[in-house]
Amino acid sequence: MFTVTLQHYLALGAVVFCLGALTMMVKRNAIGVLIGVELLLNAANINLVAFNRYAAPGALDGQLAAIFVIVLAAAEAALLIAILVNFYNNLITVDVDQGDRLKG
Amino acid sequence: MTFPFEQLMVAGVAIPLAAFVVLAFVGSRLGKPWSGYVACAALGITTVLAAAMLFNWYGLTAAQQHELSTAAMENSYLWAHLGNVPVQIGVKLDGLGVIMFFMVSFVSFCIFVFSLGYMAHDSDQIDGVSQFHRFFTFLCLFVFSMLGLVAVNNLLAIFIFWELVGVCSYLLIGFYFHKRSASNAAIKAFVVNRFGDFGFMIGLMMVFTYLGVLTIDGAAEVFAGAFNGTLPQGHRAYSLLETGPLGVTVATWMGICLFCGAVGKSAQFPLHVWLPDAMEGPTPVSALIHAATMVAAGVYLVARIFLLLTPQAQMVVAVIGCITLALAAVIAVVQTDIKRVLAYSTISQLGYMIFGMGVGAWIGALFHLLTHAFFKALLFLGSGQVIEGCHHEQDIRNMGGLRKKMPVTCWTFFVAVLAIAGVGIPGVYVGATKIGLGGFFSKDEILAVAYFRTHEVDVREATGHGAPAHGDQPSKESADHRQHGQTAMMGSADGAVTAATETDAARVTNLAQKYPRWLFWVPLAIAYVTPFYMMRCWWLTFMGKPRNQHVYDHAHESPLMYVPLAVLAVGVVVSSYLWFRPMVAAAAPTGLLVAAIDGEHGAGMHAVHAALVPIVGFAFVVGFAIAIAIYYRGLAVGERFATMLRPLHTLAVRKFYFDEVYGFVVVGGGLALAGLSRLFDIFVIDLIVNLSAKVTTLVAWFSGWVLDLWGVDGAVNAMAQGTLRVASDIRQFHTGKVRNYVMYAAGGAALAALVIIFAFGRA
Repeated sequence: MFTVTLQHYLALGAVVFCLGALTMMVKRNAIGVLIGVELLLNAANINLVAFNRYAAPGALDGQLAAIFVIVLAAAEAALLIAILVNFYNNLITVDVDQGDRLKG
Repeated sequence: MTFPFEQLMVAGVAIPLAAFVVLAFVGSRLGKPWSGYVACAALGITTVLAAAMLFNWYGLTAAQQHELSTAAMENSYLWAHLGNVPVQIGVKLDGLGVIMFFMVSFVSFCIFVFSLGYMAHDSDQIDGVSQFHRFFTFLCLFVFSMLGLVAVNNLLAIFIFWELVGVCSYLLIGFYFHKRSASNAAIKAFVVNRFGDFGFMIGLMMVFTYLGVLTIDGAAEVFAGAFNGTLPQGHRAYSLLETGPLGVTVATWMGICLFCGAVGKSAQFPLHVWLPDAMEGPTPVSALIHAATMVAAGVYLVARIFLLLTPQAQMVVAVIGCITLALAAVIAVVQTDIKRVLAYSTISQLGYMIFGMGVGAWIGALFHLLTHAFFKALLFLGSGQVIEGCHHEQDIRNMGGLRKKMPVTCWTFFVAVLAIAGVGIPGVYVGATKIGLGGFFSKDEILAVAYFRTHEVDVREATGHGAPAHGDQPSKESADHRQHGQTAMMGSADGAVTAATETDAARVTNLAQKYPRWLFWVPLAIAYVTPFYMMRCWWLTFMGKPRNQHVYDHAHESPLMYVPLAVLAVGVVVSSYLWFRPMVAAAAPTGLLVAAIDGEHGAGMHAVHAALVPIVGFAFVVGFAIAIAIYYRGLAVGERFATMLRPLHTLAVRKFYFDEVYGFVVVGGGLALAGLSRLFDIFVIDLIVNLSAKVTTLVAWFSGWVLDLWGVDGAVNAMAQGTLRVASDIRQFHTGKVRNYVMYAAGGAALAALVIIFAFGRA
C-alpha cells in the first residue's frame, strides 16, 4: 500500500486551485464565479493544513491560518454578494457577460 | 590787379541761369510784362560784363593774352575722372571766346528787348492764354546754354551745352504747341539734330579713346604729337595713323565724326531739313536761335576742333559746306514766305562758313559768323516787325509798298540786305579802310582763300619766305605751323608723316595739293545768287505797289521793336570794321593750314584778293540788278520765268524732295523697324511667355492631382488605415467581460511564475 505523502495533498490543492480558477473563468452565472472564488480559497487552505501536518507537526500554525482564511473568505463572500446585488439592481441579470460596459 | 576775366565769364554764364531759375519758379506769378523785364535785366548785366571783357581784352598785348589763357586752363575745375582721363572744365579764355561771348549776349539782348514788343499783344497766346513768362524762361535757359557753350574749354562740356541748346530749341520751336505743325517741327528739329549728335558722340569717344584728353588744347597737342612722333612709344594716339574703313585714317574718321555734330546743329546737307520747319517758332526765336547763335555753334565747334582735322577731313568739310550753300540758295530763290527765305539764306550762309573752315579760312569763316549774326538777326527781327505789323501775314506775295508804313524797318532791313550781299566799293579807300559792309569783307575773304586753295598761286615769292613748298622738300612758312598729313585726295590712304622737319614743332602745310576747281566756282556763283534772292525779298516786301490792300492798310510799326533794329544795324556796321576780325585773328590756332588775308602771309593773299575783286567784289551789282529788273513791277515777270523753267522751279519749290525722301527712308524705315519689333514681340516673346505659362500649368496640375492626391494623401491615409487595423485587432481583447479579464490575469500570473521558476529559479 502506498503512503499518502505531502505531495499528494499539494497535488490535491493544485487541482482544486485550478478548478477554482477555471470555474471563475468559465462560469457565466455570477454565483458560479463566487463558488469558484471559494474553491480557490479552500485550495489554499488544503495547502496550509498539509504543510502544517507534514512539515511542522508540533505546531498548529497552519490550522490557525486556515481558520483565518475561512473567516476572510466568509467576509469576502458577503462583500461579493453586495457587489452582486448592485450588479443585479443595474442590469436585471446575473449573467456576468452582460456587464461589458467597458468593452472597447 | 588783372582784370578778372574768368570770374566775369562764369558770372556772365550764371546770370541767365539764375534768371531762368527765378522765372521757372515764379514766372507765372510775375506774368506779363515783368517776367520779360527780369530776363532783359539779367541779360543786360551779362552784356555789360561781356562788353567790359571785350574792351579789356582788346587792350592787352598778345603775350598778356596768351598768359591769361594758359592761366585759365590751369584754373580748370576737375569735375571727374572717366577711367584715367580727367575731365577738367574751365573757361577757355582767348580772343574767339571773348568775342563770341560778346556777340551772343549783345545780340540776345537786342532780341530780348524786341520780344518785349513782339509778345506785347497776342503773339504769346496759346489757346487764348498768355504764355509770356514761358517764352522768356526758355529764352533765358537758351542764353545760359549758349554762353556756356562758348565759354568752356572741354569738349565734353561743350557737348553738354550742345545738347542743352538743342533742348531749348525744341522747347522754343514748339512754343505754339497747340499747333500740330509747330510741335512736329520741334520734334523734327530735335531728331535731325540727334543724328548729328550721334556722330559727334562717336567722335568724342574716339577723342577719349585715342587722345586721352578731353580739353580742346590738350587734345590738339596730343593729336599733333601723334603726327610729329613726339609722344612716348606705344601711346594710343599712334593708332590714329592707321588706316581705317574706306582706306582713310582713323584720325580722319575722328574729325569727320566730330564734324557730324556741326552738320546737324548748323543745318548742313544732308541734315538741313529741320531749319526751314523751325520757322514755326516765334520770330524772335528764329532770330536768336536759328540765325545768330545756335546754328553758329556748329561753326564754332569746327573752329575749336580745327586742329583735329586731317586734310581729308577738311576736304569733307569743304565739300559739304559747298553743297549746302548751293542747295539752299537755289531753294531760297523761289520761296514766298518771308521767314522761309531767311531760313534758307541762313543755311546757305552757314554753308559758306563751313566751306570756309574746310578750305582753311579759319579767320574768314569766323568773321563771317560774327557779321552774319548781326545782319541775320536784323533780317529776322525786321521780318518779325513786318509779320506782327501786318497781323501775322507772312507771304511776300501779299505785301508790297510797306516802306511808307514801316520806314525804320524798311531801311534797317535794307542795311542787312547790303551786308549779306557783300556790298562795298572795292578799290576805294577812306584813309586805310575800305568801304563795305558785312559780307564784303567776310565772304570775300572766304572766297579768296578758296581761290588760293583751288588754283596754283605763287605765294612764296610774294611772301618772301623762301623755298617752294612743293613736293617733299619741306620749307618753313612759319616757325610753328603744324602738319596734318601729307597726301590729300579723299579716298586714298593717308601717307606717313614726313619727318623731314628740323624743329620738333615745325611742320609744313602742304599747299601743293590743290582742291578741285569747282570748290571755288560754285561758291562764287552762289555769291551772285545771294544778292538776287535777298533783293527780291526786300523789294517785294517793301517797294513797289501794295498787292493786298487790306494788309497794307493795317500795317504799322511799334517803337519797342524798332529800337533794337536800329541798334543791330549799327552793330552790322561796327562788326564789319572794329574789333571783331582782329580778335578772331589773334585767336587763330597756330599752324593754320592757310592763314587769312591779313595774317603772316598777307602779301600773297592780298595779291590774290586784289585779283579777285572784279569777279567777287562786284557780285552784288549783278545780283541786285537782275532782281530789281525782274521784280520792278511786281510778280508778273517772275511768274513768267517760273513757267519757262517749270521743272527747275518745281524742284526748288519742293525743296529738292528731301523731306519726301527722308520721310520714306528714315521715318518709314523707323516705322518698319517698329513693325518688325512688334511682330517679334507677338510671335517670339509672347510665344515664350505663353509657353512657359502652359508648362507651369501642366506642372501644377501634375503636382496637385498626381503627386499630392495619390502620393501624399495616399501615404497619410495608408498610415491611418494601418493604425486602425492594428487597433481594431488589438481591441478584440477588450471584451468587457470579467471572465476574460480573470483569464488574462491568471494566465499572466502563471506565465510569470513559470518564467521565474525555470529561468531564474535554477541557480
